Amino acid sequence: MAAILDMKGIEKQFGVVKALDNVDFSLEAGEIHALLGINGAGKSTLIKILSGVYSKDAGTVTIAGKTVELGSPAAAIACGIASVQQHPELVDDFTGVENIFLGQEAKQAGLGRRVDRKALKRQAEQLLKRFPIEIDLEQRVGEMPAVDREIVAILHALSREHIRILILDEPTSTLTEREKTSLFALMRQLKSAGIAIIYITHRLEEVFEIGDRFTVFRAGKRVTTLTCREGRASQVSIPELMLDEKPGDIFPPKAKNAAGEALLEVRGLDRPGLFSDVSFTLRRGEILGIFGLVGSGADELSKALFGVIRPAAGTITLKGKPVTLRDPHDALRKGIFLVPGDRRTEGLTLSRDVIFNMTLAHLGKASVLGGLFRFASSRKTSAELAKRVALHPMTLDRPVSAFSGGNQQKIVIAKGLYRDSDIYIFVEPTVGVDIGARATLYALMRELSAHAGVLVISSDCDEVHGVADRMIALYKGRPVTVPDQRPSRDQLLSAGIMGARA
Amino acid sequence: MMALKSSPLTLRLLAFVLLLGVIAAVFQSFAPAYLSENNLHALLRHMSVNGLTAIGLTFVIVVRHFDLSFPGVASLGAMTLGWLLANDYSLAESVAGGIGIGLLAGLINGSVISYLRLPDIVTTIATGGVAVGLSYFYSNGTSLSENFFMSGILDLNDSKFLSLDMPVVILLGAAIVAFIVLHCTRFGRAFYATGENRRSALFSGIRVKAYVLTAFGLCGALACLAITLLVASSGAANVTAGNQLMMPAFAAVYLGAALFGAPSIPATLAGTLLMSAMLNGFTLLAIPYYYSDAIVSTVLILAIGIFDPKLTTLVGGLFSRKPAR
Amino acid sequence: MTDFPMTTTDSASARWTADLKSFFLRYGLFLLLVLVILAFAWLRPSFGSAGNINDMLRSASIAALMFVGLTWIIAAGEIDVSFMSVAALANMVVAALVASGHGWALACLAGLAVGVIFGLVNGLLVAIFRLPALVITIATGGLAGSVAAAIGLGTSISLPSTGFVGALLHVNFGVVPLLTVIVALLYAGAWFVQERLTFGHYLYALEQNRAAVVEAGVPVNRLLLMLYILSGVVSSIAGILLTADLSSGQPYIGSSYFIDGLTSVLLGGMALKFGKPNVIGTLTAVLLLAALLSGAALLGWTDAQRQIVRGALLLCGVAVVVWARRKTRAHI
Repeated sequence: MAAILDMKGIEKQFGVVKALDNVDFSLEAGEIHALLGINGAGKSTLIKILSGVYSKDAGTVTIAGKTVELGSPAAAIACGIASVQQHPELVDDFTGVENIFLGQEAKQAGLGRRVDRKALKRQAEQLLKRFPIEIDLEQRVGEMPAVDREIVAILHALSREHIRILILDEPTSTLTEREKTSLFALMRQLKSAGIAIIYITHRLEEVFEIGDRFTVFRAGKRVTTLTCREGRASQVSIPELMLDEKPGDIFPPKAKNAAGEALLEVRGLDRPGLFSDVSFTLRRGEILGIFGLVGSGADELSKALFGVIRPAAGTITLKGKPVTLRDPHDALRKGIFLVPGDRRTEGLTLSRDVIFNMTLAHLGKASVLGGLFRFASSRKTSAELAKRVALHPMTLDRPVSAFSGGNQQKIVIAKGLYRDSDIYIFVEPTVGVDIGARATLYALMRELSAHAGVLVISSDCDEVHGVADRMIALYKGRPVTVPDQRPSRDQLLSAGIMGARA
Repeated sequence: MMALKSSPLTLRLLAFVLLLGVIAAVFQSFAPAYLSENNLHALLRHMSVNGLTAIGLTFVIVVRHFDLSFPGVASLGAMTLGWLLANDYSLAESVAGGIGIGLLAGLINGSVISYLRLPDIVTTIATGGVAVGLSYFYSNGTSLSENFFMSGILDLNDSKFLSLDMPVVILLGAAIVAFIVLHCTRFGRAFYATGENRRSALFSGIRVKAYVLTAFGLCGALACLAITLLVASSGAANVTAGNQLMMPAFAAVYLGAALFGAPSIPATLAGTLLMSAMLNGFTLLAIPYYYSDAIVSTVLILAIGIFDPKLTTLVGGLFSRKPAR
Repeated sequence: MTDFPMTTTDSASARWTADLKSFFLRYGLFLLLVLVILAFAWLRPSFGSAGNINDMLRSASIAALMFVGLTWIIAAGEIDVSFMSVAALANMVVAALVASGHGWALACLAGLAVGVIFGLVNGLLVAIFRLPALVITIATGGLAGSVAAAIGLGTSISLPSTGFVGALLHVNFGVVPLLTVIVALLYAGAWFVQERLTFGHYLYALEQNRAAVVEAGVPVNRLLLMLYILSGVVSSIAGILLTADLSSGQPYIGSSYFIDGLTSVLLGGMALKFGKPNVIGTLTAVLLLAALLSGAALLGWTDAQRQIVRGALLLCGVAVVVWARRKTRAHI
């Protein structure tokens, strides 16, 4: 089979970060090619360049022998490249047929064209003849199960006749096992119709189930490309290929003393569709790490521990007393503080200054006489906290939006320190934070754990392994036990990407 | 244009004083009586009604909602006040009744919007409509003025306190309390946090639903306080009393927000002062109210345009080239 | 619709009740209209008289015309609260020009121009510059209203005759005014656009998921601009007709149409589309409203009581919108 896509010497830089470093990538017609790699390894940058969202700094892209410039999403589509996002945008009240042909109801585009529903239905039937799959396209998309929505999105991407390359970004993260089989059936149909598929996933067993070849990315470079047969046969450990060399000394030493009282005990926590049967104990004086990739339920678990999501079953016990967390106000009162995964939309009020943000979670402490804000004392306390978290620059009156990602994260942590909680939950704590700030943040977490319990939930395997005293992994919503809760780095990664009990 | 948003306070204050100065100068040149003591008193009295309404609306705008019910609610409050006065209730009871109705209506709005998650625009239009309808019940739509003179309601307009007109005193009192609440207490911080990033505020443990509820309650109550002053000055309560309140209130809040970068009590007061200065000037020049209404509308459109970050970034983008990503 | 566990024996009857429920939701508004008309005709025979029906149809036609643009704007997820003031302004412009001797033809063109201009301004600010629709249309509506009042120096303008427009208004086919036939045809055309053309298709998609529509390559801003221009135009035509109908220019004519417009659009969403505003629903709701208010007047209800009915109906309309949203978001 000839190569339908050939990328040579692709480079892409964002500021100081080199997202892609002299990457070569080729795709054969009708193959299913998986991209593997941890967050930030370069996979999504590559596909964004392919779909015309980013522009490459250097290198060439050749499709079916012709060099092309993918300057915009429209240009990419014109070259035959279609991509389906992780959470596709669909119109819920429209049927599958209507969503598939949205924007292409008539031969020419325009606002005054006739929508011939019968013709569209026939076209949809043609599509299903090309790719026979069991789906009721007359149903409203809003009522469809997740896999059918996914299929509609794929068919929408393919509705233009000349698509030769399809990019799927984590399509199975919201699907059940049975639904996944339907999706794979469609993918095989596409394959036999000669369409090449680039498939991004974190789940290794899926790669071997459906893929022909896979490529591993690491730190912006392409590490290796193997066929799945070779991959299975050879003894090479794929997780090892995905991980960087041992990271530098950005992690503080682990706790020496044994941990203290049990602050948080979770037993059998369950929320159908998100996570199930999660149990662990968090003690004062330790950092417990939960490693979970996209679709593992880790983020939802953190919200359940903060009163944002109600678990359907299971118990949460704080210092020996079972509790129900009604809302974040309740959780805060009971001594839990969440440093949320998305600090811009969940953790900070960006337009306001440092003092405003630092005091927001404990306004009672910052006020007197029933509500009057204590400007002087909260300024003093904020200054102390800013020093403690090494905020840079130390200007308290600047709006928080003016600080770098790492410093914004420090402000959120300071907010938690102001609250002086028993339990600190960190979700994706160092996303978008540079290396220097990371070390400070890890040191802060260690410092916090001296007198409190710290839970770190992250999709960065190195991070969880480096900072936590004990670790568990979540895979598709279920916890994966690892030896003694002190696994090696590879074991932790395997648990998170394969559900393998090492 | 991007600099407009991050301008230091002194620049904004200068802009405000400059605008005020220009308005005063223009009107003074056409009507020499503009800066006379009499007229300034009249100006401030006029400002009181609009100012109180605008202060209430400020709270709702701060939590990023809209309230279109306050004209209708104010009419209901006016008629309640008039009816209570006409039926020999004491001045205190009558005023409390009028304001209480406003508070009740506001709380109904707030609970339906905050807890039942109804859309604020059409819901407040509906409650406003119902309120106007209810206001007809007191006297089948006719004007009420019985007992007004004897009850002392007119004193609210005529009497003085420390040589300031009573309406102005009431406005200042309300403004000071509102200022303290919104800018010096933890509650004010919670209001702003709720409006600027509701999710983040929720994650900080703020009871966002309760704050939205309170904002609507305050808006209703203050609109009725404003209408009380209007009734005091006109000597009668009508079902159409509240109609005049809508546009100047929105104009004041948005104009103030455009000037000072964000809605706040001082910004609203500044906006109200500017609006009243213009409207008063028009009255002095015997320009009919419909022309001044047109000016208020135009000012509102301009203020929204300046206040909206999308438009300023668009215009700003015209003056600078952003490199391709 | 909810799912319930069923055995084979009662699955048939369960399906039947679900179908019946769906039938009532889709066509209930029409049934309600018929019931209301029958009820009032029985209670007050004068309700069913030729004269009364003719009057109701005429005023309902003007109102229905005014609300066409509003229907689609709300269906697309935006709002326009200036429509009634634009109608009032067109009304006053026509009256002023006719009163000063310029003839109806010119006056009508001027009135139409008013609608186009305000539609363009609204569309530009809301659709192109993406400023908040509510406050902008409050302001443009206020502007239109003030200019309308200014034209008449605060009062109405009486007209001695009603020209060709008036003549047109009073042409009847038996009980049915010619205007009603024209409006009915217009609505039929609007229904066609709404259901069969991409224009209508996209505006409903817009309300649900703007990102998906933009991604599909549809010119969304242009669509919204056209909607606002349409609203301005139909409002101005309604205003022109009102001038002839009332033989005068009334600057404050808009206020009663405000709540009625929103009520008709929102309540009308009940018909046929389970809560989404649509033109047939608006038409039905306009007729329903006209019948209710006329009947209430004949029953001797006071202004106050009729005003409360209006407000209460709007609340029903709001309830319809919320219920429809809950239903479609149910799977989340």
